[in-house]
Amino acid sequence: MSASAFTRRADAALADPVLKIAVERTAGTAEAKRGIAVQHFAQFEQARVRGAAIKDHVIEHLGHYLEQFEAAATAAGAQVHWARTADEACRIVIEICQAAGAKTVARSKSMMGEEIGLPHALAEAGIGRIETDLAEHIIQLAGERPSHIVWPAMHKTSEQVSALFKQHHLEPHNEETIPAMAESARRHLRDGMLGADVGISGANFLIADTGTICTVTNEGNAELSLVPPRVHIVTAGIEKLVPSMGHAVQLLRLLARSATGATLTQYTTFYTGPKRQDDSDGPQAMHIVLIDNGRSTMREEGLAEMLRCIRCGACMNHCVVFRQIGGHAYGGTYPGPMGAVLTPALDGLAKNRDLPNACTLNGKCQEVCPVKIPLPTLLRGWRERSWREGLEPVSVRQGIAAWAWVAQRPRLYRTAVRAAIFGMRRFGRGWIKALPMASGWTAHRDMPAPAAESFMRRYAKGER
Amino acid sequence: MSARADILAKLGTLAPTAGAAEALLVDPVRRAVAGDLTETFLAALTLPASGATHDRVAAMADVPGAVAAYLDTHGLDRAIFLPPDPRLAADWSGFKLSPVIMPNEPAVVAVARLGIAETGSLVFETGPCAPMLPNFLGLHHVVVLPVAAVVAQLEDAALAGPQPRAHYWVTGVSGTTDIEGQYIRGAHGPRFLHVILID
Repeated sequence: MSASAFTRRADAALADPVLKIAVERTAGTAEAKRGIAVQHFAQFEQARVRGAAIKDHVIEHLGHYLEQFEAAATAAGAQVHWARTADEACRIVIEICQAAGAKTVARSKSMMGEEIGLPHALAEAGIGRIETDLAEHIIQLAGERPSHIVWPAMHKTSEQVSALFKQHHLEPHNEETIPAMAESARRHLRDGMLGADVGISGANFLIADTGTICTVTNEGNAELSLVPPRVHIVTAGIEKLVPSMGHAVQLLRLLARSATGATLTQYTTFYTGPKRQDDSDGPQAMHIVLIDNGRSTMREEGLAEMLRCIRCGACMNHCVVFRQIGGHAYGGTYPGPMGAVLTPALDGLAKNRDLPNACTLNGKCQEVCPVKIPLPTLLRGWRERSWREGLEPVSVRQGIAAWAWVAQRPRLYRTAVRAAIFGMRRFGRGWIKALPMASGWTAHRDMPAPAAESFMRRYAKGER
Repeated sequence: MSARADILAKLGTLAPTAGAAEALLVDPVRRAVAGDLTETFLAALTLPASGATHDRVAAMADVPGAVAAYLDTHGLDRAIFLPPDPRLAADWSGFKLSPVIMPNEPAVVAVARLGIAETGSLVFETGPCAPMLPNFLGLHHVVVLPVAAVVAQLEDAALAGPQPRAHYWVTGVSGTTDIEGQYIRGAHGPRFLHVILID
């Protein structure tokens, strides 16, 4: 069996001595800060139950709330567009940019933009793109993709960031400190942000009753890149709806604590339509692109709970697999546990059948999820579907079939276990360093040697 | 079929039963704010994560003096951007006022409609006399807030009826943890936030 693309990427990630340090620095800090935030919010569990209930309510009545949102946003002067697929969404955005005569767009970090491949589409259309979020700026300079949904550049060490800024910034930092590097980016990005023709953002929430979109940032880059340009384009997944501001507020309390450990993001902004006649600033036009891209199918095919996701990143920060391999190894837009559920839905299971298997099922992701998404259950669902659809390699199917045949015959099974214990203990006591036919395991780590007798045998002897 | 028709056909447009959405607003799960609202607000405002400073004056007429004192503390010239907001009417004759906001404006003065005790947030809306951009451009963000305008929870900030173009909550200064998770103030916007309370 040849190694899959995922296995190759994971192997490369594990062999990278720098990556694990970088991931550990950011994810470790995030884990600690979230822990403290949750300790200080005694009703966190009740808040999660309410958050999940709000999202479930919306997902059940999604069509209704989409129509309500469209009517309210239109009444406020925004133009609402609908896109079935990523390509359709990109086409709509590019057409709006071209109609506005846009040479440059300022982008405020949005995972939806990444999901639909907007950076690539803008490049193909010859439209300049300024990424205004510090992390997105770093990966734009590096020509890479985000490795985390909240900290897209978490795989970069400060040393690597320093080198990039010195290569690309006109007036780079003089001293090798993180504050000096941030200052260099501040200087570099400011003029581009203020001079862009179009500002593009995602939306953390779409508020149905007022047609409002909500963005949250800590840097204030969304506001700086959405107020000066002539046109503001929003790309949002249809699952981002909430009935009203009061519902959004309850989810905001969960989002900030789960993502960064703050009680609220530094800048929480609600936009309703374009600049009013008398307003002193704001864009002339506002376009909102409502994007399905597989979400309605997810709802039909048993993944409705995944549509609760508010993109906080807690599941990946707490994932033992993510912490080892980082985000790029997952191959899709979304990494970690939520990505392992989403990517097969967005990009097909056949290509991504390894992702649901890159999971220990330790349940940590579900434990920290602010909207109680049963991620391990959904991952098991993909594993079962992969089996049903015959996507598992022949060796795996035959191996499991052979095991099942033996396991259904208890006498034979016990004999086989005794033989295996006898055989394995010949290769080591305590820890086995090398085992025939198991080099995939023992090449990287020792295998614990089995106990001298099986549980069943000791139980039968009366040891209980 | 249009994309809109396709998506809605797949989703259906079943309306929720009356009161179902409203039921999810009853007793929102939140940290209760007890005791003096202003004290709670200031406690949240000055947490390390927010890192703001504050001052307290008796009336709007005292605000220019408090702004001057703040600028002096930071060794800044008495030059500010002041929006044409009638709520900020006072004698500003001792200041050099920027006619338009500059990309590297050192200090911006603004007035908040509300302060939120739960989170230490300041609430702003856009309007003819309330531009939004200056509040995100200046290095020092000096915000005037009447004590009577401090409310308990985030829900109290919502506006009934037609919404302004933008409604925004500022909680602390522009910050980032994008390089190795280390917290840096003043990523793009304000690095300093100073609140002047008016009794």
